[in-house]
Amino acid sequence: MRFKAELWVRLKVADLVAQTAWMTLTEKLDFSSDLHGIVRYSYWGFDAEGESAEKVIEDLDRVVRLDSSFTNQNKHLYLLRVTGDTPGADSITAGDLPLDRDYPVHDTVENVEAGNKRFACDLLVREHRNDRAEGFVSRLESRLKGTKVSGMKVGEVWRLIVNASGDEDAVRKAENMAVTRSRREGVLLNPHYQTSELVGISVPEE
Amino acid sequence: MATSFKGKVAIIQFPGVNCENETADAIRSVGLDADLFRWNEDPGLLEESLAVVLPGGFSYQDRIRAGVVAAKDTVMDALSDLASAGHPLLGICNGAQVLVESGFIPGIHWERVDLALAPNIMEDREGYYCNWVYLRNEGSSCRWTRLFLEEEVIPVPIAHAEGRFVTRDEDLLEQMIKNGQIVLRYCTDRGDIDSAFPVNPNGSMENIAGICNREGNVLAMMPHPERASWLRQVPEDICGIWGKKRFQAAGDFSRMEDEGPGRRFFASLLEKGPVSASSGCSGQAKEGGR
Repeated sequence: MRFKAELWVRLKVADLVAQTAWMTLTEKLDFSSDLHGIVRYSYWGFDAEGESAEKVIEDLDRVVRLDSSFTNQNKHLYLLRVTGDTPGADSITAGDLPLDRDYPVHDTVENVEAGNKRFACDLLVREHRNDRAEGFVSRLESRLKGTKVSGMKVGEVWRLIVNASGDEDAVRKAENMAVTRSRREGVLLNPHYQTSELVGISVPEE
Repeated sequence: MATSFKGKVAIIQFPGVNCENETADAIRSVGLDADLFRWNEDPGLLEESLAVVLPGGFSYQDRIRAGVVAAKDTVMDALSDLASAGHPLLGICNGAQVLVESGFIPGIHWERVDLALAPNIMEDREGYYCNWVYLRNEGSSCRWTRLFLEEEVIPVPIAHAEGRFVTRDEDLLEQMIKNGQIVLRYCTDRGDIDSAFPVNPNGSMENIAGICNREGNVLAMMPHPERASWLRQVPEDICGIWGKKRFQAAGDFSRMEDEGPGRRFFASLLEKGPVSASSGCSGQAKEGGR
Protein backbone atom coordinates (compact mmCIF):
# COMPACT_ATOMS: atom_id res chain seq x y z
CA MET A 1 0.00 0.00 0.00
CA ARG A 2 1.12 3.54 -0.71
CA PHE A 3 1.36 6.19 2.00
CA LYS A 4 2.54 9.74 2.40
CA ALA A 5 4.62 10.39 5.48
CA GLU A 6 6.46 13.39 6.93
CA LEU A 7 9.41 13.90 9.22
CA TRP A 8 9.67 17.20 11.12
CA VAL A 9 12.84 17.90 13.10
CA ARG A 10 13.84 20.85 15.23
CA LEU A 11 16.54 21.70 17.71
CA LYS A 12 15.91 21.06 21.40
CA VAL A 13 17.95 24.14 22.26
CA ALA A 14 17.58 27.73 21.08
CA ASP A 15 17.72 27.98 17.30
CA LEU A 16 20.02 30.90 16.50
CA VAL A 17 19.08 30.85 12.81
CA ALA A 18 15.41 31.26 13.68
CA GLN A 19 16.31 34.00 16.16
CA THR A 20 18.28 35.81 13.45
CA ALA A 21 15.29 35.52 11.12
CA TRP A 22 13.10 36.95 13.89
CA MET A 23 15.47 39.87 14.49
CA THR A 24 15.78 40.57 10.77
CA LEU A 25 12.03 40.52 10.17
CA THR A 26 11.07 42.58 13.19
CA GLU A 27 14.00 45.01 13.48
CA LYS A 28 15.42 45.40 9.97
CA LEU A 29 12.19 44.91 8.04
CA ASP A 30 8.84 46.30 8.99
CA PHE A 31 7.06 43.24 10.41
CA SER A 32 7.18 44.04 14.11
CA SER A 33 3.42 44.49 14.28
CA ASP A 34 2.65 41.30 12.33
CA LEU A 35 4.97 38.61 13.64
CA HIS A 36 4.49 36.90 17.01
CA GLY A 37 6.98 34.08 16.71
CA ILE A 38 9.00 31.89 14.38
CA VAL A 39 10.15 28.27 14.44
CA ARG A 40 12.38 26.46 11.95
CA TYR A 41 12.11 22.75 11.20
CA SER A 42 14.00 20.43 8.90
CA TYR A 43 11.42 18.66 6.78
CA TRP A 44 11.28 15.44 4.78
CA GLY A 45 8.15 14.33 2.93
CA PHE A 46 8.11 10.68 1.84
CA ASP A 47 6.16 8.80 -0.84
CA ALA A 48 6.33 5.38 0.78
CA GLU A 49 5.05 1.92 0.02
CA GLY A 50 4.72 -0.84 2.59
CA GLU A 51 2.57 -3.49 4.22
CA SER A 52 0.71 -1.01 6.47
CA ALA A 53 1.01 2.58 7.69
CA GLU A 54 2.19 1.35 11.08
CA LYS A 55 4.93 -0.77 9.51
CA VAL A 56 6.07 2.12 7.30
CA ILE A 57 6.38 4.48 10.27
CA GLU A 58 8.13 1.82 12.33
CA ASP A 59 10.61 1.14 9.54
CA LEU A 60 11.28 4.84 8.83
CA ASP A 61 11.56 5.56 12.56
CA ARG A 62 14.28 2.95 12.97
CA VAL A 63 16.34 4.67 10.26
CA VAL A 64 15.77 8.31 11.19
CA ARG A 65 16.60 7.63 14.85
CA LEU A 66 19.94 6.08 14.00
CA ASP A 67 21.05 8.02 10.92
CA SER A 68 22.50 11.40 11.95
CA SER A 69 21.75 12.92 8.57
CA PHE A 70 18.11 12.92 9.75
CA THR A 71 18.28 13.33 13.51
CA ASN A 72 20.75 13.49 16.35
CA GLN A 73 19.02 12.31 19.52
CA ASN A 74 21.21 14.59 21.65
CA LYS A 75 20.05 17.79 20.03
CA HIS A 76 16.86 17.20 18.06
CA LEU A 77 13.18 16.61 18.66
CA TYR A 78 11.31 14.95 15.81
CA LEU A 79 7.89 13.84 14.69
CA LEU A 80 7.31 11.18 12.08
CA ARG A 81 3.73 10.83 10.91
CA VAL A 82 1.49 9.52 8.17
CA THR A 83 -0.46 12.17 6.30
CA GLY A 84 -3.34 12.15 3.85
CA ASP A 85 -6.44 9.95 3.89
CA THR A 86 -5.02 6.96 5.75
CA PRO A 87 -7.58 5.77 8.36
CA GLY A 88 -6.35 6.50 11.86
CA ALA A 89 -3.47 8.58 10.52
CA ASP A 90 -3.47 10.86 13.58
CA SER A 91 -2.36 8.06 15.86
CA ILE A 92 0.29 6.61 13.54
CA THR A 93 3.28 8.63 14.66
CA ALA A 94 6.73 8.31 16.15
CA GLY A 95 8.96 10.78 17.96
CA ASP A 96 8.51 13.34 20.71
CA LEU A 97 8.10 16.69 18.93
CA PRO A 98 4.78 18.28 20.03
CA LEU A 99 4.12 19.85 16.63
CA ASP A 100 0.51 20.77 17.41
CA ARG A 101 1.57 22.72 20.51
CA ASP A 102 4.76 24.23 19.12
CA TYR A 103 3.83 27.90 18.98
CA PRO A 104 6.44 29.96 20.81
CA VAL A 105 5.75 33.66 21.13
CA HIS A 106 8.96 35.66 21.18
CA ASP A 107 7.49 39.05 21.75
CA THR A 108 4.28 40.89 22.33
CA VAL A 109 3.02 42.44 19.15
CA GLU A 110 1.97 46.02 19.61
CA ASN A 111 -0.90 47.79 17.89
CA VAL A 112 -2.84 44.59 17.13
CA GLU A 113 -5.81 45.51 14.98
CA ALA A 114 -9.19 44.80 16.52
CA GLY A 115 -10.56 41.43 15.42
CA ASN A 116 -7.18 40.06 14.38
CA LYS A 117 -5.89 36.80 15.81
CA ARG A 118 -2.88 34.53 15.58
CA PHE A 119 -2.33 32.11 12.73
CA ALA A 120 0.59 29.73 12.33
CA CYS A 121 1.59 29.42 8.68
CA ASP A 122 3.95 26.56 7.83
CA LEU A 123 5.96 27.41 4.72
CA LEU A 124 8.12 24.70 3.18
CA VAL A 125 11.17 26.25 1.51
CA ARG A 126 13.20 24.08 -0.83
CA GLU A 127 15.37 24.37 -3.90
CA HIS A 128 13.94 24.12 -7.40
CA ARG A 129 16.49 21.39 -8.03
CA ASN A 130 15.67 18.15 -6.23
CA ASP A 131 19.21 16.72 -5.91
CA ARG A 132 19.20 16.56 -2.12
CA ALA A 133 15.99 14.53 -2.12
CA GLU A 134 17.42 12.06 -4.64
CA GLY A 135 20.44 11.59 -2.39
CA PHE A 136 18.21 10.82 0.60
CA VAL A 137 16.09 8.36 -1.39
CA SER A 138 19.13 6.30 -2.28
CA ARG A 139 20.39 6.58 1.30
CA LEU A 140 17.10 5.16 2.60
CA GLU A 141 16.98 2.38 0.01
CA SER A 142 19.87 0.55 1.59
CA ARG A 143 18.60 0.94 5.16
CA LEU A 144 14.86 0.26 5.07
CA LYS A 145 13.48 -3.24 5.62
CA GLY A 146 10.26 -3.86 3.72
CA THR A 147 9.39 -0.22 3.02
CA LYS A 148 10.08 1.37 -0.33
CA VAL A 149 10.47 5.13 -0.70
CA SER A 150 9.95 6.28 -4.26
CA GLY A 151 9.98 10.06 -3.86
CA MET A 152 10.88 12.70 -1.37
CA LYS A 153 10.62 16.42 -0.66
CA VAL A 154 13.44 17.91 1.38
CA GLY A 155 13.60 21.40 2.77
CA GLU A 156 13.01 23.63 5.75
CA VAL A 157 9.64 24.54 7.15
CA TRP A 158 9.33 27.99 8.67
CA ARG A 159 6.40 28.27 11.06
CA LEU A 160 5.49 31.95 11.10
CA ILE A 161 3.05 32.92 13.82
CA VAL A 162 1.40 36.00 12.41
CA ASN A 163 -1.25 38.42 13.48
CA ALA A 164 -3.93 38.52 10.75
CA SER A 165 -7.61 39.04 10.06
CA GLY A 166 -8.09 35.61 8.49
CA ASP A 167 -6.45 32.71 6.64
CA GLU A 168 -5.81 34.59 3.43
CA ASP A 169 -4.39 37.60 5.18
CA ALA A 170 -2.14 35.34 7.25
CA VAL A 171 -0.77 33.53 4.19
CA ARG A 172 -0.19 36.82 2.37
CA LYS A 173 1.74 38.23 5.32
CA ALA A 174 3.78 35.04 5.73
CA GLU A 175 4.72 35.08 2.05
CA ASN A 176 5.74 38.73 2.26
CA MET A 177 8.00 37.86 5.17
CA ALA A 178 9.47 34.90 3.33
CA VAL A 179 10.13 35.87 -0.28
CA THR A 180 13.09 38.15 -1.01
CA ARG A 181 11.84 40.18 -3.94
CA SER A 182 13.93 43.23 -3.13
CA ARG A 183 16.37 44.45 -0.50
CA ARG A 184 13.47 45.63 1.63
CA GLU A 185 11.29 42.53 1.26
CA GLY A 186 11.46 39.01 2.68
CA VAL A 187 14.36 36.97 4.02
CA LEU A 188 13.59 33.28 4.01
CA LEU A 189 13.95 32.37 0.34
CA ASN A 190 15.43 33.67 -2.89
CA PRO A 191 12.90 32.82 -5.63
CA HIS A 192 15.63 32.47 -8.24
CA TYR A 193 16.65 29.09 -6.84
CA GLN A 194 14.14 28.32 -4.10
CA THR A 195 10.41 27.84 -3.92
CA SER A 196 7.88 27.91 -1.10
CA GLU A 197 4.76 25.91 -0.45
CA LEU A 198 2.18 26.28 2.31
CA VAL A 199 2.10 22.90 4.06
CA GLY A 200 -0.11 23.85 6.97
CA ILE A 201 -2.04 26.61 8.66
CA SER A 202 -3.38 26.43 12.18
CA VAL A 203 -4.76 28.64 14.92
CA PRO A 204 -2.77 28.38 18.16
CA GLU A 205 -4.73 28.39 21.37
CA GLU A 206 -4.42 31.77 23.11
CA MET B 1 38.13 52.11 14.21
CA ALA B 2 38.77 54.93 11.74
CA THR B 3 37.50 58.44 12.41
CA SER B 4 37.66 59.51 8.78
CA PHE B 5 37.60 57.65 5.49
CA LYS B 6 38.47 60.66 3.38
CA GLY B 7 40.42 59.42 0.37
CA LYS B 8 40.53 55.88 1.77
CA VAL B 9 39.05 52.62 0.63
CA ALA B 10 36.55 51.52 3.28
CA ILE B 11 36.28 47.79 3.94
CA ILE B 12 32.96 46.91 5.52
CA GLN B 13 33.36 44.53 8.43
CA PHE B 14 30.06 42.75 8.99
CA PRO B 15 30.00 40.28 11.90
CA GLY B 16 31.48 37.06 10.57
CA VAL B 17 33.58 38.29 7.64
CA ASN B 18 37.15 37.03 7.68
CA CYS B 19 39.02 38.47 4.70
CA GLU B 20 39.02 42.12 5.73
CA ASN B 21 42.69 42.39 6.71
CA GLU B 22 44.02 40.58 3.62
CA THR B 23 41.83 42.81 1.47
CA ALA B 24 43.17 45.93 3.20
CA ASP B 25 46.75 44.71 2.65
CA ALA B 26 46.07 44.07 -1.04
CA ILE B 27 44.63 47.57 -1.45
CA ARG B 28 47.58 49.12 0.37
CA SER B 29 49.93 47.22 -1.93
CA VAL B 30 48.83 49.41 -4.85
CA GLY B 31 49.54 52.59 -2.88
CA LEU B 32 46.02 53.31 -1.69
CA ASP B 33 44.99 53.75 1.91
CA ALA B 34 42.44 51.35 3.35
CA ASP B 35 40.71 51.02 6.68
CA LEU B 36 38.06 48.83 8.26
CA PHE B 37 34.53 50.14 8.77
CA ARG B 38 32.49 48.23 11.33
CA TRP B 39 28.96 47.71 10.09
CA ASN B 40 27.38 49.64 12.96
CA GLU B 41 29.52 52.76 12.71
CA ASP B 42 28.12 56.06 11.43
CA PRO B 43 27.46 55.47 7.70
CA GLY B 44 28.07 59.19 7.11
CA LEU B 45 31.78 58.42 7.48
CA LEU B 46 31.69 56.60 4.15
CA GLU B 47 30.69 59.64 2.12
CA GLU B 48 34.24 60.88 1.61
CA SER B 49 35.72 57.44 0.98
CA LEU B 50 37.44 56.70 -2.31
CA ALA B 51 35.70 53.35 -2.69
CA VAL B 52 34.01 50.66 -0.63
CA VAL B 53 34.79 46.94 -0.54
CA LEU B 54 32.64 44.18 0.96
CA PRO B 55 35.15 41.42 1.74
CA GLY B 56 34.74 37.65 1.86
CA GLY B 57 33.78 35.52 4.83
CA PHE B 58 30.52 34.56 6.45
CA SER B 59 28.51 37.64 7.34
CA TYR B 60 26.10 36.74 10.13
CA GLN B 61 27.44 33.19 9.92
CA ASP B 62 25.58 32.75 6.61
CA ARG B 63 22.42 32.28 8.67
CA ILE B 64 19.24 31.78 6.63
CA ARG B 65 21.13 32.31 3.34
CA ALA B 66 24.56 33.71 2.51
CA GLY B 67 24.48 37.51 2.39
CA VAL B 68 20.78 38.02 3.04
CA VAL B 69 20.96 39.31 6.61
CA ALA B 70 23.76 41.79 5.86
CA ALA B 71 21.76 42.97 2.83
CA LYS B 72 19.08 44.26 5.22
CA ASP B 73 21.52 46.24 7.39
CA THR B 74 21.26 50.01 7.75
CA VAL B 75 24.74 50.51 6.30
CA MET B 76 23.41 49.17 2.99
CA ASP B 77 21.13 52.23 2.77
CA ALA B 78 24.25 54.39 2.71
CA LEU B 79 25.96 52.10 0.20
CA SER B 80 22.88 52.22 -2.01
CA ASP B 81 23.11 56.02 -2.10
CA LEU B 82 26.85 55.97 -2.73
CA ALA B 83 26.63 53.34 -5.48
CA SER B 84 23.77 55.20 -7.15
CA ALA B 85 25.96 58.30 -7.17
CA GLY B 86 28.72 56.40 -9.00
CA HIS B 87 30.96 55.54 -6.04
CA PRO B 88 33.11 52.41 -6.72
CA LEU B 89 31.85 49.37 -4.80
CA LEU B 90 33.33 45.88 -4.90
CA GLY B 91 31.91 42.70 -3.35
CA ILE B 92 34.21 39.71 -3.07
CA CYS B 93 32.70 36.25 -2.42
CA ASN B 94 30.43 36.83 0.58
CA GLY B 95 30.49 40.50 -0.38
CA ALA B 96 29.20 39.49 -3.82
CA GLN B 97 26.43 37.51 -2.14
CA VAL B 98 25.48 40.62 -0.15
CA LEU B 99 25.38 42.74 -3.33
CA VAL B 100 23.18 40.19 -5.13
CA GLU B 101 20.82 39.87 -2.16
CA SER B 102 20.68 43.69 -2.00
CA GLY B 103 19.67 43.99 -5.65
CA PHE B 104 22.70 46.21 -6.42
CA ILE B 105 23.75 43.50 -8.88
CA PRO B 106 22.67 43.32 -11.64
CA GLY B 107 20.98 46.57 -10.56
CA ILE B 108 18.99 47.01 -13.76
CA HIS B 109 16.03 47.51 -11.45
CA TRP B 110 17.86 48.99 -8.48
CA GLU B 111 17.45 47.02 -5.23
CA ARG B 112 15.21 44.44 -6.89
CA VAL B 113 16.61 40.94 -6.37
CA ASP B 114 16.92 39.54 -9.90
CA LEU B 115 19.64 36.96 -9.26
CA ALA B 116 20.76 34.39 -6.74
CA LEU B 117 24.10 32.92 -5.78
CA ALA B 118 22.85 29.39 -5.30
CA PRO B 119 24.61 26.30 -3.92
CA ASN B 120 27.36 24.94 -6.17
CA ILE B 121 26.60 22.19 -8.66
CA MET B 122 29.68 20.02 -9.13
CA GLU B 123 30.39 16.64 -10.61
CA ASP B 124 30.47 13.90 -7.95
CA ARG B 125 30.62 16.29 -5.02
CA GLU B 126 28.59 18.89 -3.21
CA GLY B 127 29.07 21.80 -0.84
CA TYR B 128 32.20 23.85 -0.37
CA TYR B 129 34.87 23.96 -3.06
CA CYS B 130 38.24 25.66 -2.85
CA ASN B 131 40.75 25.82 -5.71
CA TRP B 132 42.52 28.06 -8.18
CA VAL B 133 40.51 28.82 -11.31
CA TYR B 134 41.04 30.86 -14.45
CA LEU B 135 38.93 33.89 -15.28
CA ARG B 136 38.52 35.58 -18.63
CA ASN B 137 38.09 39.33 -18.63
CA GLU B 138 35.17 39.90 -20.94
CA GLY B 139 36.10 43.52 -21.57
CA SER B 140 33.67 46.08 -20.28
CA SER B 141 33.51 49.51 -18.79
CA CYS B 142 33.77 48.10 -15.27
CA ARG B 143 35.64 50.38 -12.89
CA TRP B 144 37.41 47.44 -11.23
CA THR B 145 38.83 45.71 -14.32
CA ARG B 146 40.23 48.67 -16.26
CA LEU B 147 43.79 47.43 -16.12
CA PHE B 148 43.06 44.03 -17.62
CA LEU B 149 43.21 43.35 -21.31
CA GLU B 150 40.13 42.14 -23.11
CA GLU B 151 40.06 38.32 -22.98
CA GLU B 152 43.02 38.29 -20.62
CA VAL B 153 43.22 35.11 -18.55
CA ILE B 154 43.54 35.77 -14.81
CA PRO B 155 44.29 32.95 -12.35
CA VAL B 156 42.68 33.48 -8.92
CA PRO B 157 41.43 31.28 -6.09
CA ILE B 158 37.82 30.59 -5.23
CA ALA B 159 36.47 29.28 -1.93
CA HIS B 160 32.72 28.98 -1.60
CA ALA B 161 29.70 26.69 -1.32
CA GLU B 162 27.17 29.09 -2.85
CA GLY B 163 28.63 30.72 -5.94
CA ARG B 164 26.35 29.70 -8.78
CA PHE B 165 24.93 32.78 -10.48
CA VAL B 166 21.37 31.89 -11.48
CA THR B 167 18.14 33.66 -12.38
CA ARG B 168 14.59 32.68 -13.24
CA ASP B 169 14.21 35.77 -15.40
CA GLU B 170 14.63 34.46 -18.94
CA ASP B 171 15.43 37.88 -20.40
CA LEU B 172 17.88 39.00 -17.76
CA LEU B 173 20.94 37.20 -19.10
CA GLU B 174 20.44 38.70 -22.53
CA GLN B 175 20.05 42.16 -21.02
CA MET B 176 23.21 41.80 -18.96
CA ILE B 177 25.20 40.67 -21.99
CA LYS B 178 23.82 43.53 -24.05
CA ASN B 179 24.71 46.00 -21.30
CA GLY B 180 28.25 44.61 -21.00
CA GLN B 181 27.64 43.59 -17.39
CA ILE B 182 29.18 40.11 -17.59
CA VAL B 183 32.71 41.05 -16.61
CA LEU B 184 34.39 37.79 -15.65
CA ARG B 185 33.81 34.21 -16.79
CA TYR B 186 35.40 30.95 -15.70
CA CYS B 187 37.57 29.54 -18.48
CA THR B 188 40.39 27.13 -19.23
CA ASP B 189 44.00 28.24 -18.87
CA ARG B 190 43.87 29.09 -22.60
CA GLY B 191 40.81 31.28 -22.22
CA ASP B 192 38.23 28.86 -23.63
CA ILE B 193 34.79 28.75 -22.06
CA ASP B 194 33.91 25.21 -20.96
CA SER B 195 30.78 24.70 -18.88
CA ALA B 196 31.99 21.43 -17.34
CA PHE B 197 33.43 21.09 -13.83
CA PRO B 198 36.12 22.03 -12.79
CA VAL B 199 36.55 24.78 -15.41
CA ASN B 200 33.17 26.04 -14.31
CA PRO B 201 33.63 25.24 -10.61
CA ASN B 202 30.07 25.84 -9.40
CA GLY B 203 27.70 25.40 -12.35
CA SER B 204 27.22 29.14 -12.76
CA MET B 205 25.09 30.10 -15.78
CA GLU B 206 27.26 31.03 -18.77
CA ASN B 207 30.34 30.41 -16.56
CA ILE B 208 29.76 33.78 -14.88
CA ALA B 209 32.25 34.64 -12.14
CA GLY B 210 31.66 38.39 -11.89
CA ILE B 211 28.89 40.83 -12.80
CA CYS B 212 28.92 44.62 -12.66
CA ASN B 213 26.06 47.07 -12.73
CA ARG B 214 25.23 48.91 -15.96
CA GLU B 215 27.20 51.95 -14.90
CA GLY B 216 30.29 49.83 -14.17
CA ASN B 217 31.04 51.14 -10.68
CA VAL B 218 29.69 48.14 -8.72
CA LEU B 219 31.23 44.68 -9.19
CA ALA B 220 30.24 41.40 -7.53
CA MET B 221 32.81 38.64 -8.00
CA MET B 222 33.06 35.22 -6.36
CA PRO B 223 36.85 34.71 -6.72
CA HIS B 224 39.27 36.27 -4.25
CA PRO B 225 41.69 38.75 -5.86
CA GLU B 226 43.21 39.61 -2.47
CA ARG B 227 44.47 36.03 -2.28
CA ALA B 228 46.28 36.50 -5.59
CA SER B 229 47.85 39.90 -5.03
CA TRP B 230 51.43 38.74 -4.41
CA LEU B 231 53.49 36.32 -6.45
CA ARG B 232 54.14 34.28 -3.30
CA GLN B 233 50.42 33.43 -3.19
CA VAL B 234 50.46 31.86 -6.67
CA PRO B 235 50.97 28.08 -6.89
CA GLU B 236 53.87 26.94 -9.06
CA ASP B 237 51.66 24.63 -11.08
CA ILE B 238 49.42 27.41 -12.40
CA CYS B 239 49.54 27.40 -16.19
CA GLY B 240 50.80 30.32 -18.21
CA ILE B 241 52.98 33.26 -17.38
CA TRP B 242 52.01 33.46 -13.71
CA GLY B 243 53.11 29.90 -13.01
CA LYS B 244 56.39 30.53 -14.83
CA LYS B 245 57.00 33.71 -12.84
CA ARG B 246 56.27 31.95 -9.60
CA PHE B 247 58.54 29.05 -10.49
CA GLN B 248 61.38 31.38 -11.44
CA ALA B 249 60.97 33.34 -8.21
CA ALA B 250 61.27 30.30 -5.98
CA GLY B 251 63.89 30.93 -3.31
CA ASP B 252 64.15 34.64 -4.12
CA PHE B 253 62.29 36.35 -1.31
CA SER B 254 62.28 39.81 -2.87
CA ARG B 255 60.74 38.55 -6.12
CA MET B 256 58.12 36.64 -4.17
CA GLU B 257 56.82 40.03 -3.02
CA ASP B 258 56.14 41.03 -6.64
CA GLU B 259 52.63 41.66 -7.90
CA GLY B 260 50.27 38.71 -8.32
CA PRO B 261 47.52 38.38 -10.92
CA GLY B 262 44.71 39.69 -8.70
CA ARG B 263 46.30 42.95 -7.66
CA ARG B 264 45.15 44.84 -10.74
CA PHE B 265 41.51 44.67 -9.59
CA PHE B 266 42.54 47.07 -6.83
CA ALA B 267 45.04 49.01 -8.95
CA SER B 268 42.24 49.68 -11.44
CA LEU B 269 40.93 52.22 -8.92
CA LEU B 270 43.98 54.36 -9.70
CA GLU B 271 43.11 54.53 -13.42
CA LYS B 272 41.21 57.71 -14.09
CA GLY B 273 40.16 57.42 -17.70
CA PRO B 274 38.96 54.61 -19.93
CA VAL B 275 41.58 52.00 -20.73
CA SER B 276 42.27 50.71 -24.20
CA ALA B 277 41.35 47.06 -24.65
CA SER B 278 44.13 46.43 -27.16
CA SER B 279 46.36 43.50 -26.38
CA GLY B 280 50.11 43.40 -26.33
CA CYS B 281 50.25 39.68 -25.68
CA SER B 282 51.19 36.78 -27.85
CA GLY B 283 49.87 33.25 -27.78
CA GLN B 284 46.32 32.01 -27.74
CA ALA B 285 45.51 33.16 -24.26
CA LYS B 286 46.10 36.78 -23.49
CA GLU B 287 48.10 37.19 -20.34
CA GLY B 288 48.81 40.43 -18.57
CA GLY B 289 51.25 39.72 -15.81
CA ARG B 290 53.09 42.96 -16.09
